[in-house]
Amino acid sequence: MAPCPQGVMGPRCVVGTTGRMDTQRTPARRREAWLPYLLLTPGLLLLVGMLYPFFLGAYYSLTSYFLQYPHLFRFVWLGNYLKLLQDPLFGTSLRFTLGYAAVAVLVQVVLGLGVALLLNSRIPGRGVLRAMMLMPLMMPPVITALMWKVMMAATKSGILNYLLSFLGVGAINWLGSVDFAAVSILIIDTWGNLPFVSLILLGGLQSLPYEPYEAALVDGASGWGVFRYITLPLLKPFIILAATFRVMDALRIFDVIYATTVGGPADATMNLHMRAFWQAFQWYSMGMGMAYAMVLLVLVFLASLILMGTWRRAAEQTTL
Amino acid sequence: MSSGPEATPIGGSPLARAARSTGIGVAVLALVLWTVFPFFWILLTSLKQPLDVIAAPPKLLFEPTTENYRAIFIGEQRGLYATARPDFPRFFLNSIVISCGAVALSFLAGIPASFALARYRFRFKEQLAFLFLSFRFAPFITFLIPLYILFQRLGLYNTYSGLILAYQLISLPFTIWMLRSFFMEIPLEVEEAAKIDGCSWWGVLTRVILPLSLPGMAVTLILGFMFCWNAFNYPLMLAGRQTFPVTVGAIQFISYEQVLWGQMAAASLVAVVPQLILSLFVQKYIVRGLTMGAVR
Repeated sequence: MAPCPQGVMGPRCVVGTTGRMDTQRTPARRREAWLPYLLLTPGLLLLVGMLYPFFLGAYYSLTSYFLQYPHLFRFVWLGNYLKLLQDPLFGTSLRFTLGYAAVAVLVQVVLGLGVALLLNSRIPGRGVLRAMMLMPLMMPPVITALMWKVMMAATKSGILNYLLSFLGVGAINWLGSVDFAAVSILIIDTWGNLPFVSLILLGGLQSLPYEPYEAALVDGASGWGVFRYITLPLLKPFIILAATFRVMDALRIFDVIYATTVGGPADATMNLHMRAFWQAFQWYSMGMGMAYAMVLLVLVFLASLILMGTWRRAAEQTTL
Repeated sequence: MSSGPEATPIGGSPLARAARSTGIGVAVLALVLWTVFPFFWILLTSLKQPLDVIAAPPKLLFEPTTENYRAIFIGEQRGLYATARPDFPRFFLNSIVISCGAVALSFLAGIPASFALARYRFRFKEQLAFLFLSFRFAPFITFLIPLYILFQRLGLYNTYSGLILAYQLISLPFTIWMLRSFFMEIPLEVEEAAKIDGCSWWGVLTRVILPLSLPGMAVTLILGFMFCWNAFNYPLMLAGRQTFPVTVGAIQFISYEQVLWGQMAAASLVAVVPQLILSLFVQKYIVRGLTMGAVR
């Protein structure tokens, strides 16, 4: 945003997309001062309707609220949070939540970059490939999970195990074993979200400037050198943007887990989101459920702050 | 927009080039298989009889049957009409009613709100816009638990109106951010010209902004509908058997006693038909929609 000369247009002037309309303080504009609030009224009413349950929930997280035992309702201050810190299962689910997000984002960004480079190269049927990539993207995650659940059948009737048997791999108990459940979730999640990363990075690749590449061509840089020292740095803001969205969604992943393992086996895929759901809707401990939910919310919020900051810095670096 | 530099081979021996194109061919084939195979397999599964589904090794060749589709649509199972079964046509209808209702409500509130957020300056404008955006990232459970309690008390549990209200958590922030991004693309000059011609804000909105952003509104409408269609968490706990949408309906084929694989496959496929058709119309905007207008 360009700085504007104070004396000429006054301190209220704004240069940019918001434009001139804002700067004119004519009587007509002043008469319209109430207008944005009028326009926003229906939206704000709904917003209040959305925020009220949130604050109610935050309050419940400070109470011992059991749905079947209303008489036990008491304000317990931070009691739920203290109880939660002593619960070894909290540590397990926190570790799984963070670990899953980290691994999922890493896998999906690396693979997504590969797919984006592939779709960006001169290959026949590129448009068709791109359109095909959109199909998993708009699937309900639950249905995606169910589709894979069929393929991941543990016995030899599962098509995935059948195909792997040609490679000499024995039947894997995909969703039913502690070792493979998390991997299975990752595979399903990746199938649904790889296109998202790929398409963002493809858009990034297609918006890169020509000049550095021409210079590299003149200097006789190798293909790898061009990728490492030109493409990758220029693509950084896009990579971080895609990673940001993926981290936020991976921290909160629920639908896929619910439709496949429901957090099991033996809590192997139990993340904070699932744990909060169990607390609230299996044991009807609304207070504990909300405490888990608030921890997850804080986690997501912190992640968003960090990632948004990184993204802003990367975007500034590349445009300078 | 420029098409940008492509990763072109700078040169190399014919052998290296042949190796390169083979590598690309293998990668493309792997990508196609990875993406399409699950659809192919669910289609096969939906055409199988129960015994063919669990056959080991899995059967590629079998006698296809429409039994599963007949079961989910008219409740006919092996010549009998099942009494206790997931009422799939109803779930499908529920999805349409709830998604349409949610998007309609979001548009009613969202059009003026986006207009204000795109064109006017007022206190806390960016904070307000950011507040709407934050719903995109908040874990649903923070809303679901209190909503579950509130809905039970207010009699909104298992009703269309309750679900339409709950779906605002998904569709309203999306609608506001998408419409705002489309409204902001309209040059200010057009609007000022209309003002000089004597248009009030109402005239500007109805005669300039809305007609000029008609394609953008169509995209927002379709994508909003699709996101509502995908919703699973809220209806899982806030809907009952009479109001389940297809996403919750599809997992009803899994029970403690058995999994009706074939019917579940058929239901899953039918549940995504609207998504596959609608996404054809909004191909170029899906990423923009998923990022609430951040990535054009």
